[in-house]
Amino acid sequence: MSGPGPGTALGVTGMSVSYGNLVAVHDATFSIGAGESVAIVGPNGNGKSSLLMGIVGLARRRGEVTIFGSPAPAGDVMWTARRGLTLVPERRQLYPNLSAADNVVLGCYSWTRSARKARRSDAYGRALDLFPDLRSHLRQAAGTLSGGQQQMVAIARGLAADPKILAVDEPCLGLAEAVSKRVYEALARVHEAGTTLIVVEEAPKRALLICDRRVEVRNGVVRAPAGGARP
Amino acid sequence: MMKFGNLVVAGIVTGSIYAVFAVCVAVWYRVSNILNLAVGDFAMTGALGVDYLSRVENWPLPLSILATLAAVAAFGYCYDRVVLSLAQDRLRRHEGIVVTFFFTFALSFFIEGIAQILFGTNVHAAPALWPGNSLNLGGGLNIVRAGILVLACAVISGGMFALYIRYTLSGKAIEASGENYLGARIVGIDTRRYRRSIFVITALLAAIFGIVESPITGYTYISGAVISLTGFIAAAYGGFRHPARALVAGLAIGVLEALLGGYVSAEYGDTVMYAILAALVLARPRAMGFESAVSN
Amino acid sequence: MAGLSRLVTARMRPGRPGAPLTTTGLVVVVGLVVVLAFGQQYAGSVLVLAFTYAIVTTGMAVQIGFSQQIAFSQSVFMGLGAYGAALLNTHLNLPTLAAAPVVMAGSGLLALLLGSVVTRASGLALAVATIMLPLIATGYVSSAGYLGGSVGMPLAGNLWQASSPELIAAGNGVITVIALGLVVFVASRILNSDVGLELYALGVDERTAASMGISTPRRKLELFVLGSMFASLGGAVYAGTQLFVPATLVGSAAELSLLIMLFVGGRRSIIGAVAGALAVEYVSGASEWVSVNILLVEGALITVVLLVDPEGLAGIAATARARLRERRRGSGGLAEVPGPADTAGAAADAADAAGAAGAAGAGRLRVTDWAPASAPASGTGVPLLECAGVSKDYGGLHVLDAVSLTLPARGRYGLCGPNGAGKSTLLGVIGGTVSPSAGRVLLGGTDVTGLQPQQRFYLGMSRTFQAVHLITGRTVLDNVAVSCLRSQRSSLAAGIAGSRLGEARDKAAEALDYLGMRGLSGREVSSLTLESQRMVEFARAIAPRPRLLLLDEPAAGLSEPQRDRLSGVLHALGEVTCVLLVEHDLGLVAQITERIFVLDYGRLVFQGSPAEFNDSAVVNSLLIGQ
Repeated sequence: MSGPGPGTALGVTGMSVSYGNLVAVHDATFSIGAGESVAIVGPNGNGKSSLLMGIVGLARRRGEVTIFGSPAPAGDVMWTARRGLTLVPERRQLYPNLSAADNVVLGCYSWTRSARKARRSDAYGRALDLFPDLRSHLRQAAGTLSGGQQQMVAIARGLAADPKILAVDEPCLGLAEAVSKRVYEALARVHEAGTTLIVVEEAPKRALLICDRRVEVRNGVVRAPAGGARP
Repeated sequence: MMKFGNLVVAGIVTGSIYAVFAVCVAVWYRVSNILNLAVGDFAMTGALGVDYLSRVENWPLPLSILATLAAVAAFGYCYDRVVLSLAQDRLRRHEGIVVTFFFTFALSFFIEGIAQILFGTNVHAAPALWPGNSLNLGGGLNIVRAGILVLACAVISGGMFALYIRYTLSGKAIEASGENYLGARIVGIDTRRYRRSIFVITALLAAIFGIVESPITGYTYISGAVISLTGFIAAAYGGFRHPARALVAGLAIGVLEALLGGYVSAEYGDTVMYAILAALVLARPRAMGFESAVSN
Repeated sequence: MAGLSRLVTARMRPGRPGAPLTTTGLVVVVGLVVVLAFGQQYAGSVLVLAFTYAIVTTGMAVQIGFSQQIAFSQSVFMGLGAYGAALLNTHLNLPTLAAAPVVMAGSGLLALLLGSVVTRASGLALAVATIMLPLIATGYVSSAGYLGGSVGMPLAGNLWQASSPELIAAGNGVITVIALGLVVFVASRILNSDVGLELYALGVDERTAASMGISTPRRKLELFVLGSMFASLGGAVYAGTQLFVPATLVGSAAELSLLIMLFVGGRRSIIGAVAGALAVEYVSGASEWVSVNILLVEGALITVVLLVDPEGLAGIAATARARLRERRRGSGGLAEVPGPADTAGAAADAADAAGAAGAAGAGRLRVTDWAPASAPASGTGVPLLECAGVSKDYGGLHVLDAVSLTLPARGRYGLCGPNGAGKSTLLGVIGGTVSPSAGRVLLGGTDVTGLQPQQRFYLGMSRTFQAVHLITGRTVLDNVAVSCLRSQRSSLAAGIAGSRLGEARDKAAEALDYLGMRGLSGREVSSLTLESQRMVEFARAIAPRPRLLLLDEPAAGLSEPQRDRLSGVLHALGEVTCVLLVEHDLGLVAQITERIFVLDYGRLVFQGSPAEFNDSAVVNSLLIGQ
């Protein structure tokens, strides 16, 4: 198992993630190269989301995580965001009473405190351009949007942070087939633009269409074939 | 008619105190899911602190005000750092009724105890910031000058807060923290720091209002309790999450109190008011805007 | 974060209630010793005052200690008792000792009236409504001349009439301790009875308790009346020992003081309630400074205690005892062990269970024994369960979209689908914890769509949830007995007179036998592995012999041998009742069930036999992927 080398966007070494007494992920080691797209698959409740939460800093973890070579301090979400890793969480976690535009603009929080600068930035513009369907709904309260629109808002919020690595947890949870297709098209375009992409999916059929390789998580144990090869 | 009008005006003045405290409770609850039942005591501290420094220690008034506010801010900061952090940020998150009521109950007791030691048990008030007689609003309606200050403070602080929330990114971040804790942390919002800031700001705001309002009613070391409670009840009518509704409820309670005191009975006016409020809650909990926020 | 959903969410340690006679004996003996030894000194009078408050806090422990529903009414009833006794003594010359039962009865009636209005509310509405009671009371009392206004009302009648002050003090003290003993005895009997077990279950999770048939509304009223009566007894005793009723006895400060005493001591423990009152009163009586600055001290005290342990002193004591036990046993408890299972514990459990035959059917329960309890016989041809056009919307999301299915009276059925497809929601709609936006649910032909989970339970429905909600501090047997309590038919008074817990425990023992878990019945639940805890929940679900059993991911977290055993049990159960399980493990589903339903985006996209399931193209693309 190779350690983090040059061109490694995300390196994870011996990481375990726990909630209280329950250990969700055991001793995970794998790495993701810059510009890659990886699908994290495995049955539900086996640790896929916990893996991401631990990396980003929202769950207690031990072990080492490096982002573009720099070791990430445990529990510091702001640091990981500033370093270029943004998470679009499971079930979206939007702010239901704020407008869709406000939800997206808050994604810029990691790099600015000025609402005006945020709205005028390239990152914000690109995030909205990716989902032209949202244009007419920007002023609507996010809680009143449909599931698919909410997912788009969540991804746009992730992109507003101008990330180099975008991690998306179960992007199509509860969405209809046609909508899932559109979401994945958007994710494919994000990847084509050069962003490293990580997608967590329970049923990986759609994810594998756009991902180079897969990482399996079963019972909290990670199995990651070396990068580059299609399984 | 005159009496009715004056009662309403007086009611709006005291109501705006309740309203401000109700808003403090509601906003604070949105950000932290804790009910701050000590707001009234911060008001009392402001009033009695300024009184003590300016009257007993003979400090100039502006200095007394600044010193008192600084002390309140420092205390609020330390309380959050020490107690609230331990309660919320450690692995064992105390949830439900324990956090919701007791920590700030305890804080309220604690502040009252200290005030008792420092200021004694008599009634005091901060010196009036705008001395003079009641102003005549025309048509026989009077309003005390301090009352105008109170309303002005309410409008200014309310307006500033509303603008802050709507137009700045950090204002939106505060709202986001209250809407979705996880979602806020995802974008890098330090919810802990915001909670601390809001707590300190709430305490300061309450203290300022205490200073401005105390010439009207006078405070003792236990005055804060009733104000906190009324603020809490008004915030409850707003469902604890809607500052605008809490504001209206506070004003309404103030006016109701004044009218009952003037028309029904000076002694039993408050008693009747609480009975009415309790009956309303029991009869139509949903119409009154209640969510079972505590029963989880 | 499905992994989180399997955390044991009951983080409280209420501990087992002490046996009534032991607890009462302890309190009474200690109390008498204290009173007779120190009775004449200042310390003695402080302790008598403390015991008086303990009468009130013990009632509070039972009334509000367990549920998350706080009602701020005790100081009002304490004042009622005190003022009532004073009035009867002063104006009617009734000896205070005789006045006590009179005010208790009066308070009981008043509490019945007030309570039937107040307890209709719950949660926040209840708290806000009752928080005004002390305010109303203070407002009235301070202006009422005949009650002494804002000062208070003196009276002349001691509880114990005697010639010398020493005898009076001693007699007062003894009567106070006896009253406390009575209250402790009644409270203890309640906690040890079937009603007590209900309270413990409610304290863990109300939703699970409701699904096990525990009905809250009537219980709340009964507890309100009980707590109020005890509070007024405390008030009468107060009047008779202090010979003065201060106006500050009612009011929000007094109410908060009582709550602080309860929470410092431990709200779910009778000894805790008594200890809390003792601690606070003693500290305030011991030092002049403390007594004057009681607000400061109480505020600091409750903050510190709550930060250390929300269960107060009783919780701290329980944790200490548990740590000592662990150290003596030598095991490390549920440590962070690399590896999915606590292997030592699993081995022990397996050994216990190995005594039974590997397949199901071991134990006394046979097909013919399974007469589903309290279930009206449904006519032939009427399906047991029917969902007709069930839909559920959350905001913009259609979680369920016109789902229609029927299940017959017996058999094993599976519900599958990708994450977010609506499986748990459908289970919730059937079980009654989720109300549908459209459509109906019929059980045996009866429309149950509007019924609460408790009511569906009594019609023969039972279910498990994904998260484990067991009562820590109590045994496996008691936890399984929760579903056999027949709460609908029992009353508080009956619980005091004679507990029916034995019957519930017997039924629970049968279910444990059936599952081959007999050996575990005496173990305390938090000492079990997560897998065993899930099996305990399963036992709890089948103990009332439901005619429809809903299982939410029953195999999650189970080891291979336990999965096999579960599979065997489900096969046998399917002969006598209807089982519907939500499961991710497709192998297990195909193995166990005879018909499978598949949801996708809230819609039913497939139903058929396991063979058809394996061959179906829709299913393959959906669930298995490439």
